[in-house]
Amino acid sequence: MTRTVLSVTDLVAGYEPGVPIVRGASLTVREGEIVVVLGPNGAGKSSFIKAIAGLVPIFSGTVMLDDEEITKVPAHQLVRRGLAFVPQTENIFPLMSVEDNLKVAGGMLDRRDMTGRIEEMYGLFPDLRDKRRIAAGNLSGGQRQMVAVARALMVRPKLLVLDEPSAGLSPKFVSMVFHMLADIRKAGVTILLVEQNAKAALAIGDRACVLVEGRNAHEGRADALWDDPVVAELYLGRRHAAGPSASDKPMPEAQP
Amino acid sequence: MNPQFLIDGLLTGSMIGLGAIGVTLTYSILRFSNFAHGDLMAWGTYATLLIVGAITALFGKVAPFSPLSFGWPLMLALALAMVVTGGLALLLDRILFSRLRAKGQMIIVVMASFGASMALRNMLEFLFTSRPAYFSRAIQIAMPVGFGLRITPDQIALLILTAVLVTLVHLIMTRSRIGREMRAVSQNPALARVAGIDVARVVRFTWLIGGALACVAGVMIGVLVQIRPLMGFDMLLPIFAAAILGGIGSVPGAVLGGLIIGLSEAAAVQIVGAEWRAAVAFLILMAVLFIRPIGLFGVKER
Ligand SMILES: Nc1ncnc2c1ncn2[C@@H]1O[C@H](COP(=O)(O)OP(=O)(O)O)[C@@H](O)[C@H]1O
Ligand SMILES: [Mg+2]
Repeated sequence: MTRTVLSVTDLVAGYEPGVPIVRGASLTVREGEIVVVLGPNGAGKSSFIKAIAGLVPIFSGTVMLDDEEITKVPAHQLVRRGLAFVPQTENIFPLMSVEDNLKVAGGMLDRRDMTGRIEEMYGLFPDLRDKRRIAAGNLSGGQRQMVAVARALMVRPKLLVLDEPSAGLSPKFVSMVFHMLADIRKAGVTILLVEQNAKAALAIGDRACVLVEGRNAHEGRADALWDDPVVAELYLGRRHAAGPSASDKPMPEAQP
Repeated sequence: MNPQFLIDGLLTGSMIGLGAIGVTLTYSILRFSNFAHGDLMAWGTYATLLIVGAITALFGKVAPFSPLSFGWPLMLALALAMVVTGGLALLLDRILFSRLRAKGQMIIVVMASFGASMALRNMLEFLFTSRPAYFSRAIQIAMPVGFGLRITPDQIALLILTAVLVTLVHLIMTRSRIGREMRAVSQNPALARVAGIDVARVVRFTWLIGGALACVAGVMIGVLVQIRPLMGFDMLLPIFAAAILGGIGSVPGAVLGGLIIGLSEAAAVQIVGAEWRAAVAFLILMAVLFIRPIGLFGVKER
């Protein structure tokens, strides 16, 4: 039985006291998995993962990271414990160089480790190496997303949490982002992903849950969810058809 | 026009610039205009004066480093007072600003800084009266340095000190971990937390640097002019004008802004008369706000 990396139980969270946005959501993520959170706009998906990342006040429920309770741990300490979060928007420091974006996230690494880790990031995202001195805000949308993900990976997280990493990108970059996530998982990082692009997300995901009005409405294996006619019609914006065939999958072949 | 205005302008500009660094950092990290900054300058100066007095009481009169008007007691006192002033800034934040900041209304924090300014100033008047005090009564001879310019040894020493401090702060901001973290917090505080940055630590450091530099600026005025409870408050307009002219958040901008305003003031004194000095900072401030509100090195707000 694989280890549970993240387990969220009956989470209630919101921005103002007495106004819960997340109303009892639960979730488990096991080591090596990609788990996808789907749901209609305004369902509270972003609020849900922001609460996990310590950015939205939690009213009740628990969040466990690797058997340690992190429900009340402030956001900046979660990084140290292995949880890295990539917000949907404003996820880079636009006026800082690409390299400083990485350095500032690696504050707790020692100097040699930092240099090595930055090199590893340039290995993972070769585009960024050429742009290392350029202000991150001047990059293209896809490259900014690479900076955001590289920044999160700097501290070797156990769990990478991403909020709609493909939103607002052109189709070419969307497929690049999903390739990138598949690669990151292969490198041993567990991933929790909120997505609007249900098809692509379910194609790389192992399991998924559908959040509606701040609660789990459906959950299960990614392919089963895709094949579920009710879920498909209600939340995935698709009349029931064939599941994602191998050719649909944006999963990359192993890359050398 | 007498070229001596260059020296006067550089000196005033250095004082303004050192003050403006603190203001620009507090603004870019905490998003509020700290109107008590000038009074931190005055507190730092009086703290230095007290420590110099204590040293003299302990060790007797210490001969100055000739040809300077001051010796090691002032230098040691300045170093200690920088820490004290940084601590005072931290204390103010702890008991006043941070509590109001938590309520999320920045205008309330700005008003509170007005109140703090008044309280700090009145405490100084109560403790030290409004009679001017001096670090030294010795008259220094200004040495000719060519081009018809004259400068005193004290002035040279303080210009060098300013240059060293400004370079140091600039290096901290651009090269060090805390500097990167400060820039990160100023660009996006929520993302800074996500990136593992302890924002409270960054805020503390900002107050420490701002307070310490305010202290130096004040002592500079104290050495070159005189020490009064109002000495810092009177500098507030040029300091804010310099920070805005340079572009909020930019350390080099604050210094350059300070120098431009210092030089303009000194030139105006010669061209249109000393009574117009105070109007210069105001005019520059207005011009910047109308023509280029983001200042010289500023960037558009996100
Ligand atoms: N910063 C905020 N302050 C107050 N309410 C918010 C904030 N962000 C989102 N909400 C509210 O929370 C609800 C869920 O939003 P969100 O979590 O962004 O949903 P999703 O990501 O599923 O589209 C929305 O009704 C929205 O109005
Ligand atoms: Mg969202």
